[in-house]
Amino acid sequence: MEDAGIPTAPMATAHFANYMARDSQIHGVPLRFSFPPHPTAWVSREIHHQYVEGDDPITGQPLMLEVIDTLTRPLTEEEKHPAALKRPRRPRLLAPDTEDNLRRLFTKSGWTDGLPIILPTEERVVEMLTGTDHDPQEVMGHMSVTPHEEKLEYTVEKVAINAVMAGARPEHFPVILAIAATQRALIPSSTGSWAHMVIVNGPIRNQIGMNCGSSALSPFNFANSVIGRTGTLMSINFGDINLAENFTGGAGNNFNYNNLCCGENQERSPWEPFHVQKGFKADESTISLFRGWSMQGFSVGPAKRMAELMTKMGYPVTFILDPLVAKGLKKDGFETKQQLAEFLVKEARTTWFDGKPVDPSRISFIVLGGEWNPIFMTADFTYLQTEPIDKWIPKKGITMTDPSYRMPAQAICSEGVCGLDLDLLREDEGVK
Amino acid sequence: MEKKITVLDPRGQPSGIFGKALTPENDMMDLLNPLGQPETGLQTMHMAKRLPTLDGKTVYLVETGFAGAREFMEEVQGWFTRNRPQIKIVFRSKGYNTFANDPELWQEIKKKGDAVVFGVGS
Repeated sequence: MEDAGIPTAPMATAHFANYMARDSQIHGVPLRFSFPPHPTAWVSREIHHQYVEGDDPITGQPLMLEVIDTLTRPLTEEEKHPAALKRPRRPRLLAPDTEDNLRRLFTKSGWTDGLPIILPTEERVVEMLTGTDHDPQEVMGHMSVTPHEEKLEYTVEKVAINAVMAGARPEHFPVILAIAATQRALIPSSTGSWAHMVIVNGPIRNQIGMNCGSSALSPFNFANSVIGRTGTLMSINFGDINLAENFTGGAGNNFNYNNLCCGENQERSPWEPFHVQKGFKADESTISLFRGWSMQGFSVGPAKRMAELMTKMGYPVTFILDPLVAKGLKKDGFETKQQLAEFLVKEARTTWFDGKPVDPSRISFIVLGGEWNPIFMTADFTYLQTEPIDKWIPKKGITMTDPSYRMPAQAICSEGVCGLDLDLLREDEGVK
Repeated sequence: MEKKITVLDPRGQPSGIFGKALTPENDMMDLLNPLGQPETGLQTMHMAKRLPTLDGKTVYLVETGFAGAREFMEEVQGWFTRNRPQIKIVFRSKGYNTFANDPELWQEIKKKGDAVVFGVGS
């Protein structure tokens, strides 16, 4: 509205005063905010009345007179000529120090997820960069933790630095680069505490030993863990997340540690893989991003039960289906995911946020799990985008770290389904 | 003495790119140099000229859809009615939900409004 020549008086509760001050400072538009006390949610009408009749707790001035002043006081010279804060480029290398001191520096600076990291020495970063042919100084994109903060630029090398920190290996790097290519902070600043989900499709899942089967969403697979964690560290360091200044998460979200990173269990699914639905070939590898908050688990039942849950949630969702569920649904007549989505929209009568009927394509189905039980989970996640991985794979192909970093997997898993390489395990265990 | 090692800075580089009005393709210097704006098509935000008085003017009150915003803004409307009856107040709710854009409302305000109060972010 200001841009359109309409004087504007924005109001946010006092809890957000520092956040708004930072916002004004870094992009040079010192909007005249007024701040009623916090909170305005779930307080009585009498409290609202007191807020309006009372003072702005930040300035001590009567709130409504401040609003009038905001709209009528002539602009200052600073307001007429806003200037964005220009921050200096950061040096490529940090000052040399002992390992202990550097660990403290990374932790105290908020450059980690609070867990121990691998320190990104040049030697380690150079090794990570063998996981792609792309120029280390190629600018991959820009990211910020909120839509209005300064976006930080990051290169292929910056991605490698964060991949090293997460404990990833070069074979994981193409998948990590595809996540970076989305230019999305996987931990956006929001009072509702968003989470993201990273689903990998295509041949690379099996090449690098990702788990798509039994306990795919649990911390039992090296590739799933380090790839997902790198997404978190990139969000922190490229999104410039600073809990003290620009992050407004309410309760936070534990999914932020790993971003629910795993592969789709294509081999056990009766339907086409998710990335094929999005226009990619089956032999291409991709990552797909979803955003939401939570997941309701342990649901059993036919499609009507899925529709009931969708109705309760009130908007389109993403279903995480064990392969047994998907096979059961196909036996029930749902030949494709699209047919199932159309049935659910009709049955659940769910509308989108704008009140319009839901497009069935907004409902997503991911098949994963170990076929222990025909259970599905209902996630309030919506699909965002799919990014190709193959363009980041070096010409020489994926080279696995030798000896392997793979973790144990369920004995019932077959090759390529749970990140289990039977031959590799036999070798590791000395079994002929 | 413990051996010192050198590690790389994990953080992204400040780019000078702010907000939705700018795209990743825009260069940092373009933002800081106003002379570059017409050439690059950048849209920087500028505050509107203030009104000498609100008397006789139309002020839109837009409730944002956050929890408690409607009740709070209705109290704001009540304050204007009691204390500044010479100001014409138009009350509107931002469409559908907190996070949805409402271009129709923005057009209405640009056409019919003299000033706007947004509330309340919480």
